[in-house]
Parts: sequence; structure tokens; C-alpha cells
Amino acid sequence: MASQVSLRVLTEDDIKQVHESSLRLLQEVGIEIEYQPAVDILRDAGQRVEGTRVYFDPDFVQKKVAEAPEEFTVYARDPEFNVQIGGNNLVYVPGYGAPFIIERGKRRATNWEDYMNFLKLAHVAKDMNLSGGMLVEPSDLDERTRYLDALYAHIRYSTKCLMGSSYGAEGANDTIELLAPVFGGREALKEKPVVITLINTISPLKLDERQTGALLEYAKMNQPVIIASLVMAGSTGPATLAGCMAVQNAEVLAGITLAQTVSPGTPVIYGCASSITDMHSGSVSIANGESSLMAAAAAQMAKFYGVPCRSGGGLTDSKTVDGQAGYEAAVMLFAPVSAGTNIILHTAGILQYWLCMSYEKFVQDLEIAGMLRRFRRGLEINEDTLAVEVVSKVGPGNHFLNQMHTRKHHRKEFRKPLLSDRQSYEGWVLESLTSEDRAERVRQQMLAAYEDPGLDESLQRELQSYIESRKAELLK
Amino acid sequence: MLLDQLKEAVINGDQDEIKVLCNRVLEEKFNPVEAVQNGLIKGIEELGRLWTEGEMFLPDVMMGADALKLALDILGPELAKAEAAGIKRDVKGKIVIGTVKGDIHDIGKNIVSAMMTAAGYEVYDLGINQEVAAFTEKAEEVGADIIALSALLTTTMPEQKKLVDYLREKGLRDKYKVIIGGGPTTQDWADEIGADGWSETAGGAIALCDQLTA
Repeated sequence: MASQVSLRVLTEDDIKQVHESSLRLLQEVGIEIEYQPAVDILRDAGQRVEGTRVYFDPDFVQKKVAEAPEEFTVYARDPEFNVQIGGNNLVYVPGYGAPFIIERGKRRATNWEDYMNFLKLAHVAKDMNLSGGMLVEPSDLDERTRYLDALYAHIRYSTKCLMGSSYGAEGANDTIELLAPVFGGREALKEKPVVITLINTISPLKLDERQTGALLEYAKMNQPVIIASLVMAGSTGPATLAGCMAVQNAEVLAGITLAQTVSPGTPVIYGCASSITDMHSGSVSIANGESSLMAAAAAQMAKFYGVPCRSGGGLTDSKTVDGQAGYEAAVMLFAPVSAGTNIILHTAGILQYWLCMSYEKFVQDLEIAGMLRRFRRGLEINEDTLAVEVVSKVGPGNHFLNQMHTRKHHRKEFRKPLLSDRQSYEGWVLESLTSEDRAERVRQQMLAAYEDPGLDESLQRELQSYIESRKAELLK
Repeated sequence: MLLDQLKEAVINGDQDEIKVLCNRVLEEKFNPVEAVQNGLIKGIEELGRLWTEGEMFLPDVMMGADALKLALDILGPELAKAEAAGIKRDVKGKIVIGTVKGDIHDIGKNIVSAMMTAAGYEVYDLGINQEVAAFTEKAEEVGADIIALSALLTTTMPEQKKLVDYLREKGLRDKYKVIIGGGPTTQDWADEIGADGWSETAGGAIALCDQLTA
């Protein structure tokens, strides 16, 4: 039976009002698109264009958005790791793009060793469905070509699905070129998508050259894209959450419309990373009641348009793995999971509003994500689970610990914690470990459990020689 | 083969299968001590090991312990005959356990009792709301090594002290090790009343018994 977990923060009328406001913005204000091929495509499809500003016809937008699939499969090197995006599926993805690592409260630049560690953790973690994208920004690799090293590492060292490069049309093409030989060529890729890419808009109401360039290439190849908007309420959007959502919705609809115009049926994901501005410092705050409301609302908006949703994350503004890091991440995961979001980027590892990653936070977030995956599964109500027969058999005052029903059901009904301490005080006090201490141990166990899945050697050579030639061009 | 089946039946907590197999032991005049030591006990030991490793859970161990108890009841008369004939079986120790007078909480005590059985002890579980005299009578009757007292209420904890005092009065204090447990109890309380040990958990209680009977 389908889970009944379905948090609602918007009424149907609310959704309609947001939708209509976004259509007005798209038609009257338009979207600034800094990539000429995209502007040309939209002009050719009948949209009014002035310079780089595209004014969208509401009927055209609705027609195009309706062409996007409600649900689709992304194929992994190991079919066991294929992911289904949409419906009631919940896909977790690691933190993405942080330039710093925080260890025990001390911040430093991330390096390639960190990258490989997070890749192994993502591969080993049962609850992590994708190996991720740019897991951290490795400062010791040249920034012009590090995306190539990152892509190779994901293909070579994990058999889970990965995220592609959004470094312009070139980054997208390199991603495709590296994946095609692994998955049976370009045509096979079109049939069975293998890579999901994060395409960010620029709020308010802009699509930049790099992201739009990548979007076009992926759409041509039928590879899924997350069109994500990050409106900061109060600075890059109105201070009202409603206004913020109207802007976000307009940007996402523009991206989806563009993708469908390029190639009807391209798998797209409605992405929300919107948050608020700290009105004292002007800094972004990514984990709060306001952001969790928008993350939940996005799931409803996406459902309204019939596309999967990406929102939420193990997010926090905290700089260390403390109470704040735990409670903020829990709130920012709970709301979207409850509202039915389909894919959560930054599920694990993030500290300080996306700027930092932490190994211990990664493990701590895995625990929250695991608890919430259980929550999302919902309650199973039927004759067997209602257990009236067993209760009658046991009778008043007795216990259920020695019943076959208990033995049979508890393993499926209860999730076993990865990190939480449920010991007695006597047991706990022996080492008196905090969740951060335990997370460090779990991380070490996970890294030790990593096994190289291997990759055909001639394929390795082929990919490496492609990367070498691309590096030579890019570093010229 | 029969030994393997007995072991499996305990691991599966399958009481129906235990009845069938134990009746076969009797009908086929199979050595009952052998059936216990190399069949049933192997099963309960396996459960205990898997529980320690986190592979098995409390219901598995408790159902296994129930199956073992049922088997010992069925084989009881034959085991007594064998014992009378001088065939001894290895028992780590005998434990009399129960919840003290005025206290009707027994989930924790039941868990400890099952874990003790799984650890290879012969356990005499008196149940709930027991007078101190009931503990000593049973201990005298079966020749116990350990008396284990559970109390979950601060108001019934004094019963634990009462037993230690009672044993002293009767001149039996050195004959038995007394261990205590239950939510509000502590090592300090055990020290104060002169008990031989305390544990907060079932696993700890087994370690404690092993130490006291070593």
C-alpha cells in the first residue's frame, strides 16, 4: 500500500496563485538568458525576444512543461544502483561543491584525498543512492580541469549513478564523452539516461551562459537535469516567502520550457534551494523554518506540474558538528521528505551554508536521512500488522518478546541505527563518546569497508587518454 | 542428525519441532544428556553468539530460551535418571531469579533470564512479586550458585536489601552470590546493601555471572 505521508503547506488555490504570478513574471518581465543559442531556440519557437531578454507566452510554457515526464529511471554501472526519480521514490545525494573541510571545528581547504574519501563514503553508504557530483572542490587540482578528474573518479571508483559537470557546453560534452563508452555509446545513452546534472538559475530571473550551455547539451542527449533556483528571500527575492516562490517558480519553469523546446520529453527535475537572508549581516541562512517551508512547498508545486522535485538537504549554518548542525539538518530534511520530494542534493556532509563539508556531519546526516526514509515509508495497516491474534494470545500483562510475530516483523518494521547511541548509561560511560566521536569511528569503518568495484582496463585507458587530450587543450 | 535438528529447532525457537524431536529422543532411547549438551545447548550458544555480534535480536534469543526450557521439561525425568546414574552434564551455574515483593515489573527480568539461559546457565525464574523466603527456599532446593533480584521501583528496592539481611540471619550469606538489577538501582546501592554485583544491562549481567562463578 502506498505511503500516506504527505505534508501539505499550500492549498490548491495557493498553488494556482503562485503559478499565475510566475506566468505573469515570465510574460511581462521575462528571463534574461546570457546564452545566444538558447535565445535563438526560444525565438524560433515563437517567443518574443528583446536582446537577451526572453518573454514567455503562458500557453507555450504550460504546453512545454506538460511534455516533461513524471517519472524516469537513471541507469547505473551496477543495475542494482539504478534510481527511479519521481512517484514516491526518495533519492539521496551527498553534499556538493564545498571548497572547505571542517574537522573538529578547524577549517581548511579541501584536497583530492578528501574527494576520494567522500566518494568512497558515498559508494559504501547504503542510504546514498548516487555517488554524487563535485563532492568537494579539490584545491590541489587545477580548477580548469578538475571536473575531468572528478568525473573519471566517479566512473572508475563507484558503480552508482553520478552527477554531470555543468561547466558550460564543454563540461556537458566532456561528461557525455566519458560516459558514452562505458554505457554502450551515445545512442544507448539517449535511450537510457545515466547522469543527472544540476543546472542553477541566477536569481532573480536570469539564466547564465555556463549553466544554460550545459542544459542545452544534456537536453539534446536526453540526460536528466535539475533546474534549481536559489532565491534568497529578502535580498535576491522578495522578503515574503510567497513572492520568493513566485520568482523561483518562474525561473524553474523557464528552464524546463527551454529543455523541452530543445528536446521534448527530456527528464527534468523541479529544483528548489531557496532560503532566506540574515537581515543583520546580509549572509545567506539555509536552514530555518522558512527554508523548510519552501522546500515542502516546492514538492507540491512540482507535483502540480507533473515533474519530480529536488528540495531540502542535511543543511545547516553551523560551523561545527554540534547541536545546531543536528537540529537544523533534521528540520531541513524532515519537511521535504514529509512533503514528498523525490531527490535530495546535499543530503549529507554540509556545514556553513554549503561552504564546508565535514566527515562526521556526513555520517550524522546519514542517520537522519535513514530515519526519514523509514518515516516516508509510512505505516502499514492490515490484518497481519494489526496483530489482534497475537495480542489475544499474549493477553493482558504479558510480553511480546517471545512471539514469532515479533521475531518476524521487527526487522522490517524497525530501522537499525547507524550512529545513535541506545546503550545503557553503564555502557555509554565507559568511553563517553559524543555523536561526533562515534561518527568519526563509523566513517573509518565505512572507508575500511570500501571495495574497488573495478573497471575494464581498456576502458580505463580510453577514458584516461580522452582526459589527457582534453587537459592539454584546456591548459594551453 | 538428531543433534543438528535439536540445535536448529532452538535457533528457530520452534516449539512444535522441539516437542517432536524430544519425543523422538525418548522413543529412540537416545542419550538425553547428549541431546542436551550437543544439541539443544549448541543452539542456544549459537543464538547467544549471534546476539553478541548484533546479527540476532532479543526475540530470537527469548524464543530460543523458551524452546530450550520446553525441551528440558520434556526430557526432565530421563535427565534425572541419568543424573542419578552418575551421568553429569556441564552446567555453568544455577541461578534463581525473580522480581521482588511489591513489584510486578518483569520485562527486564525476563530478558535477563532468557539471556542467562542462552549463556548456558540453568535458570529458575520465580516470576514477579516474590517474598525473600521464596528465593532462598528455591536456592536451597536446587543448589543454586546465584540469586538474582530485580526491582524497578524505588519503593521496592529495599526488598533487595532485605534478602541480603535475611541470608545473613539464616547463616546462608556465604552460600550464594547475590546480584541485583532494575532501572533505579546502581552500583552504589549494591555496595550499600552488601550485594555481590550489579549490572544495568542483560549483557552486563551475564558477564557478572561469569565472573562470580569463575
